[in-house]
This record gives sequence, structure tokens and C-alpha cells, in this order.
Amino acid sequence: MSLAQLVKLFVIRNIKTERFLTSLSVLGIALGIGLFTSIRVASDRAISSFESDIRGLTPYTEYEITHTAGIDFDESVYRGVRSLAEDSFPVLRASAYFPSLGESADINGIYTIKTLGFLRSASGHRFETEAFFRDLNGIIITKRLAAAHRLKKGDSLPVQIYDSLRELKVVDIIDAPSVPSQTVIMDIGNFQESFGMAGRLSRIDVAADGETAGRIRQMLPAGLSLEKKAQVIENRKSLIASFRYNLEFISLIAILVGVFLLYNTVFITVVKKRTEIGILRGLGADRRTVVLLFIIQGIVLGTIGSVLGIGIGQAFAYVSVAAVQRTITSMYSAITISDYLITPAEALSALLLGLAISLAASAVPAYESSRIQPTESSREGSFESRYRRRRALFSCIGFIIIVAGMTLSYLDYRLMPFPFPFLAYAGILLIILGFTLVSPIYLSFFIKIMEQPVATTFGPAGSIASADMQGSIYRFSVALMSVAISCSLIVSLLIVIVSFRNSLTRWITQNISADVYIKPSSCRSNFCFFPLSRDLEQELRGFPEVAGIDRFRTLELTYEGRKIVAGFGDTEVARAFSGKRNSGSATRFRESAARQEAGISTYLATNYGLARGGTLELRTPRGPARFLIRDVFSSYSTTSGFVYMDRRWLTEYWGLDDATQLGIYAREGVDIDRFIHRLKASLSPRYSLDIMNTRELRERVLSIFNRTFAITYAIELIAVAVALIGVVNTLLALVLERRREISIIRYLGGSWGQIRRMLMLSAGMVGITGIILGSLIGGIMSVIFIQVINKISFGWQIDIDVPVGYLSAVSAALFLTTLLAGILPARVARKVDPKKFISFE
Amino acid sequence: MIHLIDVEKYYGQTPVLKGINLSVERGEFVSVMGSSGSGKSTLLNLIGGMDLPDRGSIKVNGRELSSFSDDQLTAYRRQEVGFIFQFFNLLPNITVFENVRMPLLLNDIADSSGVRGYLQRVGMADKTDRFPHELSGGEQQRVAIARALVHAPEIILADEPTGSLDTKNSRDVMDLLAALAKEEGKTVVLVTHEDYIARFSQKVLRISDGVILA
Repeated sequence: MSLAQLVKLFVIRNIKTERFLTSLSVLGIALGIGLFTSIRVASDRAISSFESDIRGLTPYTEYEITHTAGIDFDESVYRGVRSLAEDSFPVLRASAYFPSLGESADINGIYTIKTLGFLRSASGHRFETEAFFRDLNGIIITKRLAAAHRLKKGDSLPVQIYDSLRELKVVDIIDAPSVPSQTVIMDIGNFQESFGMAGRLSRIDVAADGETAGRIRQMLPAGLSLEKKAQVIENRKSLIASFRYNLEFISLIAILVGVFLLYNTVFITVVKKRTEIGILRGLGADRRTVVLLFIIQGIVLGTIGSVLGIGIGQAFAYVSVAAVQRTITSMYSAITISDYLITPAEALSALLLGLAISLAASAVPAYESSRIQPTESSREGSFESRYRRRRALFSCIGFIIIVAGMTLSYLDYRLMPFPFPFLAYAGILLIILGFTLVSPIYLSFFIKIMEQPVATTFGPAGSIASADMQGSIYRFSVALMSVAISCSLIVSLLIVIVSFRNSLTRWITQNISADVYIKPSSCRSNFCFFPLSRDLEQELRGFPEVAGIDRFRTLELTYEGRKIVAGFGDTEVARAFSGKRNSGSATRFRESAARQEAGISTYLATNYGLARGGTLELRTPRGPARFLIRDVFSSYSTTSGFVYMDRRWLTEYWGLDDATQLGIYAREGVDIDRFIHRLKASLSPRYSLDIMNTRELRERVLSIFNRTFAITYAIELIAVAVALIGVVNTLLALVLERRREISIIRYLGGSWGQIRRMLMLSAGMVGITGIILGSLIGGIMSVIFIQVINKISFGWQIDIDVPVGYLSAVSAALFLTTLLAGILPARVARKVDPKKFISFE
Repeated sequence: MIHLIDVEKYYGQTPVLKGINLSVERGEFVSVMGSSGSGKSTLLNLIGGMDLPDRGSIKVNGRELSSFSDDQLTAYRRQEVGFIFQFFNLLPNITVFENVRMPLLLNDIADSSGVRGYLQRVGMADKTDRFPHELSGGEQQRVAIARALVHAPEIILADEPTGSLDTKNSRDVMDLLAALAKEEGKTVVLVTHEDYIARFSQKVLRISDGVILA
């Protein structure tokens, strides 16, 4: 008989017979793959968004000239650049927010004649250049943006840009696939004039060969740099790499539960088909053929699950893209992702991942199937027995693997050999694998302890359930691990989230000292880089309620080739007004404004080997500047490193004296809410500002935090769903596989009630043991997440808080749901006709 | 003790038992002989309360089984009947001791001290911790007999109990069943297709095409 026919007889027929069971496994795989794919799509699109943002409107240009501090610069340099490279395009750009559309977009002021000429050839469209030049507030938007919001030529759009609210007019609509959908174009002259940015540029895109680039580099004034766009893109990618790896890793753990499901299904088939396998072997089938049969079964199920998972991933992508977009906008810079579709390459990679995990899941049961002897049919139960004999060995190996996992994580903590916490990721996977191997002995031990209390409480059903579980310990261990892994994911993420939230709350309390905070409404990120109007500061000083203003400025600097955020605060003001209000990083500089000192975030300390008392050297327009590291503190606002200095050094080294955010200290006795009301009434006609009191700022920070973790909550929900499928799948598989045993119990006088109680008790014991083990694994994982992965990836200092109340509630809910998961198998058991499974004649 | 009056049983449209009349007294050892498909297993299922007749009456100790609810039938099997099967039907993943103890557990009898006594009686006292697959066919059947006896049922129903055994083991099993009827007053109903086995019983009935011939 050919292999194809055997596959048809053994694999396809079995899938058809056990449709429901098979469907559960496929669904488990599909959910895992779907989650993983959607997160990949979201982070890939975020990277693409960065990429197209950097490539700009002229993607063929290989270089860009920018200020090393990420600020706008004098346009006079363009003349020199153009004399060396004709294909150079000046750009003035600003992040803007369109309140009527609910969208952020970058407004690009372009050198119309040159750039539109290029766009014309890319889109084949003749632009309304006259209107574009004539209307000072005229903009060109993309066809996709116009279609999404039903915009047409002549429409007016309110826009928050810098610190003002303006009205822009759509003069044309462009249809060029190379242009990102959220691009808004304006003539550079109009832009400069409209927004008071005369003579300023943000970037010059340059198409040049290496030699010309070298010459341009030499003629650039201090503070400006020419970089390859490919390099800039790589830097940007590395910024969100940690964020991406962490999400992918968590979703990979959800896939692991799916692997258990598939393993279980193939394993049950092997157990169920042992007689047939024995006969096949007796008829001369070799081991290879038998192994292949079950590998093929795994692959078939994995493929179906993966294909379904790609569909689910597409549905999930809409949610995860929105979540990733919000997080990256808060933590890094405003991005807009409008492309949600899974590409063929991503679908293929999801399929390959599905195939790989199917292979991994089916390899062990397939190998077991090859060990079945022709006499196996008369040796029912020998399967569990074989595992029973290896229990001690498995447990020993398991313990060794757990220790190895912890050692790897510790090595990552101590040595950090890679920029990303790969060793810690591997450590967690090893810990899960180790506990999987230990789980049978753990379950067996637990049942032994519980045997008497269960028998006393539940009577005969309790005793039978204990004996039954003890006899099928490996199969129940699979169910246990499904629950344990999901539980560990929930426990660890919950501990991480609560610990982070509490640390963040403490940090806010310590660091927020001003009474009122002001920032431009157009700024959607944690840090704003566009300065506020000078007039605004003057006006604010005119309010009698104002005692002092802390003018805060952020710059985007480059340190060791990576972008970091530098914050410059008015430490004199902090010293004068904050008094005893806080003990945050700013106040630690009170006495030291005159000294060339800086505070750095733990991320910088951890990743660049910096420490208190050491020196931080920064590139400035006036050459390298060395700062004594006075303080190392946790910064939760960014994941890319943060340095804090007095404003004095902003002026001295960067030649700036403006501010991007303001902290106002009110005089004693001022009613802050009334003051804010007055500020808004007075400033809102001319400025578009977010004016917040301390409470509002704290709420905003926490709301950003909640949004950041929204995707984690979604992952948790899916993990729970997959775990429940796992419990139903395993218990159901056990019922189906053991219909004969259930029949025997019926013949011996066991009632349906006893059988139902027995199955529910089994589900309950699986639930309890899974939750206990999952809590242990989750606890270990949370320590690794916080102390190693977080430290290397983000450098946040998080004090571990165990939310006992939350965890108890979640454990109780998970336990109840595992009990519920026992109902379905109990119902299936009720349908078993004992006469069919007891052969009389 | 067991009275079947005009019992008919159909599977779909196919008649399996056609007007069976049968009486078995307490302590009697009755063999029902018939070829494969003659309906003898269906007869055992009806007596054991695993199935109900479509027509006719089955009375055990004066109680009409047809009037029993599922729970009552289950309790009847659990307390009054011991089954012995051709393929032993031991639970594969629990030990010999636990298998024999199972009827006690189902009857909510915590005291399992009698288990060893029954195992000793069938010559399996030294293998209590073994699993079924570690035993020979004869040994498995002896365990099954101990399981059928442990909760002291009045009725033993045996379906081809020697069908999977060699001659020596068959003789041992049959001697044991005969002794149960003779010495302990158990009512034993055994179905078989072998004359040699039937000879151990006090009364032999022949069934063919759902009808008892003699």
C-alpha cells in the first residue's frame, strides 16, 4: 500500500472522524499564529512608516542633511549644497494634528518647482501649481487620505501645528503610490510665511554619489550632518526593535499553548490507533512509514491552522496596528499606519512558522508511534507505562533545563552579551520546557496529596478521578501545561503591568512639581521637539498668578550612533519654587546649575556602561562637550535613553533659548483650576495648547500607559482562550480515547453522575495544578521580564509589586473557566453507548 | 430469582430476541450456548440492566427491570451484578488492586480490606501493584473475576469468560465460577459457544436466532 493511501486511511479518515477535536487543535494553532502574524504586521508597518517618512517625497535621494539636535536650521546652507548636488530638495516639516479628521500627519513644506516636477513624473498628474502658490494656506493631500475622509479640492481643514490652530485649504489631490498616505504638502515659502518659520529648513534630501557627499559633508556648518538614509532607517528600526521583540516573544508563548494542543491531538491519535499501528507493523510497515504518517497528520493540521491563522491575523491586525501606532507615537514619534493588509511574504512566513511548530509538536508522538510493536494491540496501557518508567529521568532532565534557563537569564542580566535580551528569551523558553518535563511528577505528587481529601469530599467519584488521573498522568500533564503556560503568561504580564504602573505613579509623584503644564496640542508624543512661541512666554509672565516658569526644551541627540532624548530644564526655577514638593531628578540639580553636570536614564547607564561619577560626552554644534554624570534615574517617557541637563548648557552648546514645554509655578493661594480656566480663555484664540494641572497630567501619563499596554491585554485574552481550548481539547480527547473505559465503569455500575463528577474533578484538578504551576512559572518569568528583559530593552527601573488581589481574582476566574471546560467532555461522555465499546461477540 | 417472560428485542427493524422465556433460580449456574449473532450477549445485557426489552418482562428478585429508571438500573448493576467479559475489560491505566477496588469505590465503600482476600482467592495476591498489560490473559481474567466478586453481588454474568484463555486457564476459571454457585450461592449466567465450557454448569440452554431451543 502506498504512503498516500495510508495517509488517506489513517490521517484523513481520523481527521474526519474526530472533527470536533481536530477543529479545537486547529483553532488553537490558528489563534496563536493569528496573534503572532498581526503583531508582526503591526510592527512591520510601523517600520515601513518610519522608512517612507525618512525617504520623503523623493525616495531616490540617498542622503539627508539634518541638524544633529533634530531642530530646524538656517536655509542659507542650501545654496552651497545645491552648488555641489543639483538634485537636492529642501524640506521644512512639522507634525500636525487634524482635529476634524482625528489624525496626525506631517506637513512637508517643499521646494515646489523641483519636487512637484518629480512627483508629476511619479504620478502622471498635472498639479494645480498656480493655486498652490497663490493660496498661502494651500495644501496637497494624498488620494488615500482624501478618500478616507471624503475630502475634495477646495475643502478647508483646521490643523493644530506648532502651538497654533490654523485653517488649511485642499488645492489638489495626489495619487502617487510612493507617497505615504498621511503626507500633506505645502509650498515651502508659504509654509515659512504662514507659520513664522522664515529662513528655516528641517532637512535637505540629497541625491549624490559618495564623492560629492564627502564634499558636501566638508562644507556643512557645525551642528549639521549628512547621513545616508539607509543608515537613518536602520537607526529608527533599532529604536523600536526592543518593543517589537517583546511583543513577538509574548505572542510566541501563546503559540506554545497551540503547540501543546497539536501535540495532544497527534498523541491521542497515536494512542487510539495503537492497535492499527501494531497490525500495520505486523504486516511489514517499517518505522519510518509510521513516523511519517503522524508527522503528516501534524503538518496537515498545522497547515490548516496556519491558513486559518493568517485570516485571523488579518482581523487582529486592525486592532494591533492601532495599538502599536499609539504606543510608538507616545514613546518615539508620531506615526500613522494606514496599511493593514498581510503581504504574501508575511503570509508565507506565518505558514512556515505554522509548519515548523507542527513538525515540532508531532515529532515526539510520531517517534512514539514508531516504537509500537506488532503485539501492542493486546498490551493496552503499555503506552502510559513506558512514560511512567521514564518519569524520574524526565524530571531530572527537566530540573537541569530549568536551572539552565535561569542561568541563561542571569548571564544576560550580568553580562548583556547582545543588545537585545535574546538569552533571557531563550531562558524563559527553557524554563517552560523544563517545567513541562517536570509536570508529570508534580501532578502525580499533587494527586497523592489530594487523594484523601478529594475522596472524603467527593466520595467515589473523587477516588476514581484520582486513580484515573494517576493512571493517565502524562496525558493529563499535557492539559495541565496548557493551563500553566497561559496562566504564567497572565501572571507574569499582570505583575509586570502592575509593578510598572506603581513605579510610574511613584515617579510621577516625585517628578511633577509645577502647578500647570503647557505643551502644543499638535504634539502627540511624550516629548515635543517644536518650540513654543516666544510671545506665549511673555504673555504668561503677564498673569499675576504666575510665580515662575520652568522652560523645558527637548532635543533629539545622537549618542554612540543612536538617537537619544535630551531634556533641558530650568533648575534654578525648580530650586526656587518646587520646595519640598518632590525629590525628583530635576531637584537633584538644584545646587549644580553652574557645574557641567547631567543626569542620565538607567537605559543609557545599562547599555553604554555609564555610571554616576563618570563622564558623558556629547556632540554639540560647538564641538564635543563632557558632562559629569551626577545622577542615574529611571525615565519612563522614552525607551531610547534620556539625558537631563540645566538649560544653561542648551544655550552654551546648542545656541538655543527656546522651550518646547512649560511648567508654571503658581503663587501661594492661587486656585489652580480657576487659573487654568483663565489661561485657556485668554490664550485659546491664538494658540492651540494643552494646558493641564498636575492631576490631568498624571491622568494623561497613566492613560498613555494603559494604551501602551492595551495590546498586552489583548494577548492575555487570547492566551486564556487558547488555554481553555487546550483544557477542553485534552479532556475531550481523553473522553473520546477512553470510551471503552467509561463503558466498563458503566457496566460496573458507575452512574452518569459519577462519571460526570469524575470528569469535572479531573478538569478541576488540572485547573488547580495548572494555576499553581503557572503562578510559579509566571513569577519567575515576571522577574526575568522586569529585571533582565526590561532592563536591557528599555532600562526602566521597576520595583516588583505582586498584585495579590488581582492575581487571586484572575486565578479564581481561570479555575472556574477550566471547570466550565470540563462540561463539554462530560456531555460527550454521556453520549457514549457502553454496549458499543464492550465486545461480547 | 431471574425471570424473563416473552422478551423481545429489536435493533432497528431486526429482531434479536424473539419471545424469550427463561427462569434462573438463586445459586443456579446456567449456561446459554449459541453461535455468534444468536443474541446471547443481548440476553446478558438485558439481565444486567444495560439494556431494556422492547416487549416482555424481566424480573429480578420480583422487581420489574423495565420499570427502573436509569439511576435504578445503575444501582442494580452496581450492587447486585458482577460482569466478567471475554476480553477482561480491565481499566488499563490503573493497577490490579485499583481495578478490583473499583466496584467498592462506585458503591462508596471506603473499606478496601476485602480486595486482597479476593485477589488471594484467584491467586493474584502477589501481583496487586501490576498493571493489566503486565499480566497474561489468564491472570487478567482472574483479576476480572475478583473484580466481579468484590462487592458481593448476587448475580454473576459471564460473557465467554474463557474465550481468550488456554485450556488450563479455562478450566481454572470455570472451576472458580462453579464453586461460586455451589459454595456461595451466587447465581451465575454464562454465555459461551463451547460445549466443554457449558458442561461446568448445572443447566444448559441453547439459543439460536433469538429463540431458546431447549
